[in-house]
Amino acid sequence: MKNYFLLIGLLFLGLVPKLWAQEYFPVNGISQEKQITIAFTNARIFIDYKTILDQATLIIRDDKVTDVGTTVSIPADALVIDLNGKYIYPSFIDMYSDYGIAATEKPVRKDYPQYEKSAQNALGWNEAIKSDYDAALHFVVDSKNADLLRKTGFGVVMSHQKDGICRGSATLITLQDKNPNKAMLKNQAAACYSFNKGSSPQQYPGSLMGAIALVRQTYYDARWYEAAKIKEKNISLEHWIALQKLPQLFESDDKLNTLRIAKIGEEFGVQYIIKTSGNEYQQIEEIKKLKSKFILPVNFPEAWDLSNPYDAINVSLTALKNWELAPQNPAYFERSGIDFSFTADGLKDKSTMLTQIQKAIKNGLSEQQALKALTETPASFLQISDKAGALRKGMLANFIISSGNIFEKDNIIFENWVQGIKYIVNNYNPHDVRGKYNFQLQNNTYNLQIGGRSDALEFEVFHDTSKQKVNALFQRNELVFQLETNLKSYSCIAYYQNKKFTGTMQLPDGTSQPFTAAFIAPFVAKDTKDTTEKKLTPSGKVVYPFAAFGTTVLPVSEEIVFKNATLWTNEKEGIITQGDLWIKNGKIMGVGKNLTSPSAQVVDATGKHITPGIVDEHSHIAVTGAVNEGAHSVTSEVRIGDVIDSEDINIYRQLAGGVTTSQILHGSANAIGGQAQLIKLRWGKNPEQLKFEGADPFIKFALGENVKQTNWGDKYKIRYPQTRMGVEQIYMDAFTRAKAYEQKTLKKGGEPVRKDLQLDALVEILNKKRFITCHSYQQSEINMLMHVADTFHFKINTFTHILEGYKVADKMKQHGCGASTFADWWAYKYEVIEAIPYNGAIMNNVGLITAFNSDDPEMARRLNQEAAKAIKYGNLSEEEALKLVTLNPAKLLHIDNRVGSLKAGKDADLVLWNDNPLSIYAKPLKTYVDGICYFDINREEQQLKEMKEERYRIIKKMQEEKSKNSLLKKPVLKRKKIQHCNEYELMPFEVE
Amino acid sequence: MKKKYLILSTRCALFILFFIPFTQAQNPTPAPPQHKSIFIKNATIHNGQGAVYPNSSIGFAKGKIIYLSYESPNQSMVWDTIIEAGNKHIYPGLIALNTQIGLAEIEAIRAMNDFAEVGNVNPGSRSLIAYNTDSKVTPTVRFNGVLSAQICPQGGLLSGTSSLVNLDAWNWEDAVYKADEGLHINWPSMRVYFGNNADQEEFEKKQNERITKELNQLDLVFSEAYAYSLNTNPEIKNLNYEAMRNIFNGTRKLYIHADYVKEIVAAINFSQKYRIKIVLVGGADAPMVLDLLKENNIPIILKRTHELPQRDDDAVDSFYRLPKLLYDAGILYAISCEGFWQVRNLPFMAGTAAAYGLSKEEALRAVTLNPAQITGVDSQTGSIMLGKDATLLLTTGDLLDMKSNNVLKAYIQGRDINLDNVQHQLYLKYMRKYKLIK
Repeated sequence: MKNYFLLIGLLFLGLVPKLWAQEYFPVNGISQEKQITIAFTNARIFIDYKTILDQATLIIRDDKVTDVGTTVSIPADALVIDLNGKYIYPSFIDMYSDYGIAATEKPVRKDYPQYEKSAQNALGWNEAIKSDYDAALHFVVDSKNADLLRKTGFGVVMSHQKDGICRGSATLITLQDKNPNKAMLKNQAAACYSFNKGSSPQQYPGSLMGAIALVRQTYYDARWYEAAKIKEKNISLEHWIALQKLPQLFESDDKLNTLRIAKIGEEFGVQYIIKTSGNEYQQIEEIKKLKSKFILPVNFPEAWDLSNPYDAINVSLTALKNWELAPQNPAYFERSGIDFSFTADGLKDKSTMLTQIQKAIKNGLSEQQALKALTETPASFLQISDKAGALRKGMLANFIISSGNIFEKDNIIFENWVQGIKYIVNNYNPHDVRGKYNFQLQNNTYNLQIGGRSDALEFEVFHDTSKQKVNALFQRNELVFQLETNLKSYSCIAYYQNKKFTGTMQLPDGTSQPFTAAFIAPFVAKDTKDTTEKKLTPSGKVVYPFAAFGTTVLPVSEEIVFKNATLWTNEKEGIITQGDLWIKNGKIMGVGKNLTSPSAQVVDATGKHITPGIVDEHSHIAVTGAVNEGAHSVTSEVRIGDVIDSEDINIYRQLAGGVTTSQILHGSANAIGGQAQLIKLRWGKNPEQLKFEGADPFIKFALGENVKQTNWGDKYKIRYPQTRMGVEQIYMDAFTRAKAYEQKTLKKGGEPVRKDLQLDALVEILNKKRFITCHSYQQSEINMLMHVADTFHFKINTFTHILEGYKVADKMKQHGCGASTFADWWAYKYEVIEAIPYNGAIMNNVGLITAFNSDDPEMARRLNQEAAKAIKYGNLSEEEALKLVTLNPAKLLHIDNRVGSLKAGKDADLVLWNDNPLSIYAKPLKTYVDGICYFDINREEQQLKEMKEERYRIIKKMQEEKSKNSLLKKPVLKRKKIQHCNEYELMPFEVE
Repeated sequence: MKKKYLILSTRCALFILFFIPFTQAQNPTPAPPQHKSIFIKNATIHNGQGAVYPNSSIGFAKGKIIYLSYESPNQSMVWDTIIEAGNKHIYPGLIALNTQIGLAEIEAIRAMNDFAEVGNVNPGSRSLIAYNTDSKVTPTVRFNGVLSAQICPQGGLLSGTSSLVNLDAWNWEDAVYKADEGLHINWPSMRVYFGNNADQEEFEKKQNERITKELNQLDLVFSEAYAYSLNTNPEIKNLNYEAMRNIFNGTRKLYIHADYVKEIVAAINFSQKYRIKIVLVGGADAPMVLDLLKENNIPIILKRTHELPQRDDDAVDSFYRLPKLLYDAGILYAISCEGFWQVRNLPFMAGTAAAYGLSKEEALRAVTLNPAQITGVDSQTGSIMLGKDATLLLTTGDLLDMKSNNVLKAYIQGRDINLDNVQHQLYLKYMRKYKLIK
C-alpha cells in the first residue's frame, strides 16, 4: 500500500524513467540520466493477440520490457503497481498514418493547364512521382495528435505524406512526444504509392489509366536507369530504385483498384501491402487469390436520415447495402483466411476506432483477429515483430492498461505507455470505492451508495425512504460532495482510508463537524447489458455485380432449342422464317429447321425474332476514372483494359437493349489516344472476365476539333496541336520515333534499351499487330490519315464517326478501311455541319464495311433503331440495316469468326425480340451472351420487386439507427458522369 | 376545272419528282398560301384524337379541312388537285414542344446560339424575335413530319417567353402561330450533391444557401409582379413585370421546368400560392405524385422518352413507360424532344411510348392534339377535324416507326411544303458522284 502512494507521488512529480534527449545532447540544467524499473502486478496480460496470462506481472525497465509472466520475480528496486485485475495489451500499430507529417498545401488553381514540370531541376519529368520525399526528414513531433492517437490505443505508427502517385518513404515512429530521436524506430520503413496525383499541378496523368501507365513506365524506367548505368542524372529514379528494397505500400480506394494494384504487382514482382477501401468484401473471392497484404479501414459508412422519402430516393440500393454490409468486411477477410491489419485512417474522429472495431466484431469478426490486426499483423508487415505488437522480453514497453476487454463497450483505457513513458488517458482510482457506507448526521443515519462505472462513479444518499442523487467527485482519494437535507445544506470533504471515508462537514454558517462514513456492504452491479444490441438483425447478401440488378447467384449457360422463330442469320440463308436455333455450351449448335436435342430446353418462339447480339464498335461505358488521358497528344501507353468497371449499370441497361459486345474506347481528346478494350457484357463477372478473349488489340486515334481542343474554352490554347496541320505532324513524329525505337530494340548487344510503353503500342501498329479506330469527321483529315498510314505501310482499320465519310468513300475503299458512324447526328459543332443521315447508306453502297455505333450509353440500347434509320435515309434493305449493328461491326473488330451472325460454331450471343428488330415497337425479351441469359424481361419485373423490398428493409433498419443518433445527415446525390468521347475535365459541353 | 392526278408509288419516284430541280445547298422556298383545293383519296386517316379511319378521304381548301369522308360520305365538291393515296396514311402535322429550333444552329459555336440570355430573371426575353426561319436544321425536322414547334428560351430562373411557330416561313412574323404564349421557369434545382475533394459540409451548406436564395428570388419576383399587375397603367413601366402581367390573368401560360419530385411539389405549391395554372415540363418524378398532379389538373410536357433512367435502381425502361403511366392516371401530357436538330426524332419518341404501353393512336395524340391542347391551340390545330387547319402529312407508312417513317407530302395550313433539305441535297450530290444514281 505504501508503495502505491510513493508511486503516485513520483509520477506527479514527473519522475518517470529515463527518456528526454539523447545523452550526448547538451543539457540546460543538471543531467536527467536515470534508470527506473516498474512492475505491474495482478494484471490480465495479453502477451500477444492469442496468449493471455491472468494474475500476471509485467516488468519494464526504461523503454523496454524486461520480463513478463505469472512467476516472474520482481526486482528489489522496482516500483510495484498493483493493477487489481486490470488488463494490459500491447499498444496498437497504425501503418497508414500521416502523424507528424505536414500536409501538402492545396495546389493553387492555375489559369492555364500545365504540361511541363514546375521547376527546372534534376528530378524526373512528372511531379506526381515524389520518390525523393523522405518522411523521416520532415517528421516533427505533434503532441496534440500524438495524444489523440494514444487515446485510441496506438503506440507506433508509420507515417508518410499522403500526396502523389509515388509518395516516397514512410517513417516508423512511436507516439511518445518527448524524444523524437528515440521515437523514430526506422527512418525508412516503407515506400508508398497511390493512383492519386495529389498536389501535382501537371496535367498528366488526368485519368486512372494514365496513373497506372505512369507507375508502370516508371518501373521500367528505373530498371533501365539501373541496368544501363545512365549518366544523365534523374534524382527521382535514383530514389525510386532505392525505395524498392523497402516494404511497398499502395493505397486503394475501391475493390477494383485493389485488383488493379495487385496486377501491377504481378507485372513487376512486387508484393504490395494494400491499404484497402473497405468494400473488398464485394469481391472477396478475387481478393483471396491475390498475393498481397492488406490494411483495412474501419470508417464504415454512416447511416443517413431518410425520414423524408424524397431524400431516400436519392440513395441507391447499392449504397444502402454497403452501409449494411461494410462492417462485415473484416469478417469476410477473416473467414477467407486473409491476413490484415487495421488503420484508423479515414475516421473523422480517430478516437472512435475501437467503437468501429466493436461494430465489426458484432458483424462477425473474432476478437482475437481484431487484436491481431491491431498488433501482431502490422508488426510483421513492417518487419518489427521483435519490437512491437506483443509484450515479450526485450520488446518496446508499449502497452495499454484498460479496465477490461478493449472490445467491450464499457471498457475504459486508463493508460497508454509508450517506450516506457506513461500517458494517462483516463484517471483511475487506485481503490475501488464502490459500495454502501453509512454515516450519522443530526442523529440520523444516512446511507451513501457509490456505484456506476469505476471511472464514472454514481453517488446516491438514502435517508429513511427518501433517496437523492448527489453530485460528488472522488478524485485523488478525496471525496467532495454537497448534501441537501430538509433543514440544511452541507459541504462535505473526506478521505478514503481503510474502507471508510473520514473528513468534515461544513455548514453554510461556517461551522463544521467531523464526518465518518463506514463501509457496510459491497457494490452490486446492475445487469445493464443491452440485450437488444447482441442480436444482430440478419443482413442482405452480396450481389454480383454489386449494383442494381445484381444477383446472388450468377446465371449459367443453357442448352435451348428455340422453335419457329424468325431468324436473322446474317448468313447466306438470310432471314429464315419459322426456323429453329439450337444453343449449347455457349455456342450455336445449329440454325435451320426441325432441330431437336433430347437434353435441350425447348422454347416456343413463334412470332418472335432472333438476331445475333448487337456489337457496339464505339462505347465508353464500364470505365472508371475518365475515358480520356488528354494531358498529352500521344498517350498510346494508357489502356482502357486497365480501368474496366464491371459494375456500371449501363452494362445491364444495354443488355436490355440487345447489346452483347462493346468496344470500350479511349476518348478523343488527343491524336493518339489509349488502347481499346473489347468486352462482352457478362453482367456480374469481374473486369478480367468481361474481356473478349483472344480478340485483336485496337487503339483509338482522333482527328479534328477535339484534338485541337477547339471547344475546350480559351484556356486550352497551349497544347500542341491547335490546327489540323499540327495533327498530321504529331502522327508523322510519333511513327518516326516508333520506327527508330524499333530499330534500337532489334539491335543485338549494346546498351539496354529503355522500354517505352507508348512506342511499344505504335510499333505494334507498324507490325500490323494492333489496329486503329480513328475518331474523324471531315474529309481532309480522313484523307490525311490514310496518307500517313500509307507512308508507314500500315492500314487504318476503322474510321469511327466518320461523318463526312460519304465524301471520300471511294478513297477509303481504295485504302481498305471500314467505317463506323452515327445514324443521324449533326449540328453539334462546326466539323459536323455537313454530316448527313445518308452517310451510312452511301458508304455501305460504295462497298465499305459500315457499322453504326453509339458513343452514348442511352443510344447504345437502341442501336437496332439507329440501324433502321438507314432504311429511311438511304433505302437499305432490312437485312443490310441489321448488319450495320451486328455482323459489320464484328468484321471491323475482327471477331466475325466468333459473333455477328447466327451460324453453327459461333458464340451463342443472341437476342430474342418480340417483334421485327428494326421496328421501334420491338423490345428484347432475352439477351444471351455465351449461351447465358443475362437479361430477361420477365426476370426484371421480379428483380425490381425484390430490390424494392430489400431497399425498404434496409431503410427501416437505418431509421432504427436514427432513433439512437439524431444527428444523422441527409443524403446527398452522387453525380454520375456519363462518359462521352470528348469529355475531359472542364469540357464546356458533353456531346460527341 | 382541271383535274390533276398524282400517283405516288415509290419513295424514289417521289425524291426524283420533288428534289431534283432543287439540288443546291440551300433551304427550299417557303410555300405560298393554299389557293387550290386538295382532295386526298382512300388513305388511312389517323386523326390524332385516338381514332383511325381506313380507306377514307380528306379535302381541304384555303388552309382548312373542309371535308372528311367519314363525317359526310356524300360530297359534290370539285377539287383542284386530287391525290390517290391507297395504302398511304394521313396524320396531323406533329407539334414539337420545348425546342430551340431556329435559336441554335451549331451548338459548339457561341455565335450560333441564341436561347439563353444572361442573368436569372428575363421574363421579357422573347424567343420569337430571335427565331431564324432560315435555319438549315428546320427542313430536316419537317422532313420527318414535325410541322409546328414551340420555340423556347432556356437558362436562368425565368428564361423568357416562348412562341408557337409553323416550320415554313419567310420570316418570324410569317412563322408565328401563337406569339409569346408562355413564360418559362427553370425551377431551382433542389438536389444537393456530393462534391469530390471539397469540404463536404461547406459544399452542402453552399448548395442549400443557393436553393434558398433562388426560391426566395422567385417568390420576390412573383409577388412584385403580381402587385405590379394590379395597376393596369403604372407610372413606371417595368418590362419584365409587363411580360408577366398576363400570367396572372391566365392569358399567358406558365411553364415550369422541373424533374425532381421535391421541385415538382414545390412548383405546385407555388402555383397555388399565386393562383396560377401551370404546365410542368420534364416531370421525370411525376409517378411519385400522380394524385397531386391529377388533383391540381396539371398538364405535363415530357422530355425525351429516349433517356436513361434517372436512378440506378429504376427500371431500365422507366422513361419509355412514363407516358403510359400518365395516360392511365388521366393526366394530360405531351411528348417532346428537347433540342433543335434532335427534334426530327420526335415521332420516334412517341413510337417508343407505343412500344411500352400506349396504343399507337394514343402515342400519336401525345405529339399532336395533346401539345395543341396544352398550348391552347387545339381549337384550330392538332388533329384531323373539320374546320381545323389543314396542317397534315401524307406518308407511306407508320410515322412513329423509323423503319417506315416516310413523309411524302406535308401541308401547313394547306400550303404544300417543299420537303427538300441540305442533307438530302448532299445525298444526291454524292450518290451521283459514285454513280449510284443518275
